[in-house]
Amino acid sequence: MSEERRIRVLYTVGAAAMSAFCLLPVAYMVLVAASSRPDVLSAGAEVRLTAGHFLEVLGTGSLHFPEYVVNSIVVSGLSAILAVALGAPAAYAVTRLELPGRMSFLFLVLAVSMFPPVSLVSYLFRMMSALGWINTYAALVLPYTAWVLPLSLWILASHFSRIPRDLDRAALLDGCGRLAALRKVMVPVAAPGILSTAILAFIFAFNEFLFALILTTGRNARTIPVGIALFEGLHGEIPWGMIMAAATLAVVPVILLVLAFQRGIVTGLTRGAVKE
Amino acid sequence: MRKDHDLRELLKGYAFLAPVCALLLAFVFLPVAGTLLDSLHRDVTFLPRRFIGLGNYRSLGSDPGFWQSLRFTGLFTLVSVPLELALGLAFALLLEHPTSARGFLRAGVLLPWAIPAAVSGRVFELIYNVQYGLANALATGIGLSEGPVHWLGTSAGAFLALVAADAWKTTPFVAILLLAGLSAIPEDLYRQAEVDRAGPLQRFFRVTLPLLRPVLVVALLFRTIDSLRVFDLVFVLTGGGPGGSTTSLSLYGYRFFVGGDFGYGSAVSVVLFLLAFILSLLYLRASRFGREIA
Amino acid sequence: MMLTFHDIGKTFLSERGEVPAVQGVDLAVREGELFVLLGPSGCGKSTVLSLAAGLLKPSSGEIRFDGELVAAPRKKVFVSPRERNVAMVFQSYALYPHLDVFGNIAFPLRVAKVKEESITAEVARAASMLGIGDLLRARPGELSGGQRQRVAIARAIVRKPRLFLLDEPLSNLDAALRAATRAELKRLQRELAVTTLYVTHDQTEAMTLGDRVALMRNGRVLQVGTPRELYETPRTPFAGSFIGPAPMNLLDAVVFEEKGRLYLRMGGEKIALSPGKADEVRRIATGRVLLGLRPEHVRISGDPGPPALRGIVVSAENLGRERLVSVETAGGILTVLTDAEAPNAGDVVGLVIPIETASVFHPEDGE
Repeated sequence: MSEERRIRVLYTVGAAAMSAFCLLPVAYMVLVAASSRPDVLSAGAEVRLTAGHFLEVLGTGSLHFPEYVVNSIVVSGLSAILAVALGAPAAYAVTRLELPGRMSFLFLVLAVSMFPPVSLVSYLFRMMSALGWINTYAALVLPYTAWVLPLSLWILASHFSRIPRDLDRAALLDGCGRLAALRKVMVPVAAPGILSTAILAFIFAFNEFLFALILTTGRNARTIPVGIALFEGLHGEIPWGMIMAAATLAVVPVILLVLAFQRGIVTGLTRGAVKE
Repeated sequence: MRKDHDLRELLKGYAFLAPVCALLLAFVFLPVAGTLLDSLHRDVTFLPRRFIGLGNYRSLGSDPGFWQSLRFTGLFTLVSVPLELALGLAFALLLEHPTSARGFLRAGVLLPWAIPAAVSGRVFELIYNVQYGLANALATGIGLSEGPVHWLGTSAGAFLALVAADAWKTTPFVAILLLAGLSAIPEDLYRQAEVDRAGPLQRFFRVTLPLLRPVLVVALLFRTIDSLRVFDLVFVLTGGGPGGSTTSLSLYGYRFFVGGDFGYGSAVSVVLFLLAFILSLLYLRASRFGREIA
Repeated sequence: MMLTFHDIGKTFLSERGEVPAVQGVDLAVREGELFVLLGPSGCGKSTVLSLAAGLLKPSSGEIRFDGELVAAPRKKVFVSPRERNVAMVFQSYALYPHLDVFGNIAFPLRVAKVKEESITAEVARAASMLGIGDLLRARPGELSGGQRQRVAIARAIVRKPRLFLLDEPLSNLDAALRAATRAELKRLQRELAVTTLYVTHDQTEAMTLGDRVALMRNGRVLQVGTPRELYETPRTPFAGSFIGPAPMNLLDAVVFEEKGRLYLRMGGEKIALSPGKADEVRRIATGRVLLGLRPEHVRISGDPGPPALRGIVVSAENLGRERLVSVETAGGILTVLTDAEAPNAGDVVGLVIPIETASVFHPEDGE
């Protein structure tokens, strides 16, 4: 075989294996969610496809599943919006204004993303208890925003730094102050980057576990990851069908986001971690 | 003299940074400082809080549970990080190859990363289920073993299960990182190598790998820090068992918080913090950070 | 609007320490004048432009608009760009990519909160003046370089600024477009009668467009004058070389006196000096001068009368309508710009020395 054909075969095999690796667990999850019995793969098992588990998960009030979904979406959404709203002016200041100490600022911000969550959580718990915020949205949104700010700041800064400085200068001459220049020129021009930053922030907040585990106690603010982790079933034996159904439903929003914004997400992740 | 006017502008500029600083101070730095302080106290519910200096740390030194979790965390990192780097590199090479399916492949590869670790933890819990899990179906189906393997029931099995689940979840992220590094390698270098009669394997080792080194280092450090602080997967998949053999440092510290021993738990998390901090300093140096941006 | 720079200096702090971009600059631009800042790259001309706009603060000196201070570090005065009512056309045009042409031109008016009805009228007026009235709905990405430039100019003039700044506006256009745009810019500036500061490194642009030109080098202003003054009476060898269709020939000459009259000896040839020229030489007050001869003034002649030099042709370049001929003579290599038929390499030719239009410089000025 010629080298080209060999490479092409290797590639196809490799791509198939990679896809299988990534999608197999997901496919399995959906399969079990839609099967009447969890032992779907056992030989000789009588299995039917059913939507029963999904209905049960959504319908059983004591499981609070729909509430968890709402909580997750609201908390993640608010965190993403807040992260971008606070991060954009900061990114603008760091890239455009010659502020002394801006490197230390970036350093500090980046250091934050390396902290282990467990090193913060006990004190956060006490803080939130004292404020009476345990099991409210505030207990999650503010730490989450702080948590995703480093990544958001870096991605936003990298997007801003690619906008030609002449554009700023033109805006200043056309009568804008710094804040107006940010609002009317930088933000619109960097809009796609801002959007992908928000989406990344959303995904990170959505997937967070430890803070939610400790700072929420019930359906008022509990999020999906915690809900699914603690899902033990009501009668002793683990209801795998329902758990998988809940998991499937839970990942629908992130899957949709990934499918729709895959390019932006990839750019954002690489900008955030690799300085080109 | 000029300082007056400049001072006003400087303050306006800092105002742009103030909200971020305030938030980080309140919800990150303060808690870390608080935890550090707590670690120096005996702080257990129902008992009065008392300053004991390095007492907690001394106890850690002779605590077998702590050493076990340290060993596990270290071993886990040592095994999973190179695995993920290698797999991630393979994925990145595949993803870089220009085809029409590239977008679709990338979306597929992103899925494991996008799914919350807690959720994928449960999926893998099912996969490793003794009776009807996918893993045993595959293992017996391919003929790897005669009967069902009790994955999560043995230390070795649980360890492997965790490594596999973690690899599944984080390889995509490594792949994306390395993909960026791959795209930055100029085509001309490959052509030159081809002209110099280098085969594909030689091209990989002589062009790709050396030029990818900085990105690999960044990915290595990043993943190492992440591995050290693993919590979600361990909590959900193995709960730290069997027998505490797969308890990560994060989980170990968490146990004490839940048990009401804030002082001791804080000490554990401070140790973890220091490990991560030292590594992150290396990471920042390695990524030659920020010069292109600000 | 009268723009004055008084002893302006600007220093930048870099890793190499303090870098003076501009030093001791004095300029007085008259109302409605098209004033050109000419110089090689790095001479500080763009810095001067940014200082006039308020995008940079001077390190020392004063800038005044119609006599009023807009920047004076020692007196703690600084008027921000938006308060100066200055308009600038950047070399990159800096059009807002997220707005269409109408939005771009209207931008400064909208920032100033002008009423929408007036905005529509003003934008239409500016657009038609620039001939882009039919492009109002297009996006910058869809336009050609020339069109983008017109949009940038329209945006600059729409709010009737009191100072109009142009940063190398023609350098991004292809050669064919450049001459036509040059003429249009001149016409436009006349029509608007707005004080204009124009930066370029192209001496042809400066000579054809400028009412007056300031030649800059290494952060300093070497000479200010009308194009004609700069051409006919350059004060430094650099000016002589930079300005004109080809660089000036600079040759050493010795001054000597004979029977009470001043002569120059160059390349073995004795050159008589008219009283005017003799005064110039006397002013230099050394025994030697640097004689500046423009290639376009040197004539090749079969039988040149004095003062003349004989030499061998080294090379002849054909530039289309003219030819650039290099001749090796006893006084050095001379370049001649002539529209006559070129001699061949190796030919012996006679050159008429144009002593009356020559410039004389201090011998230490030439580097």
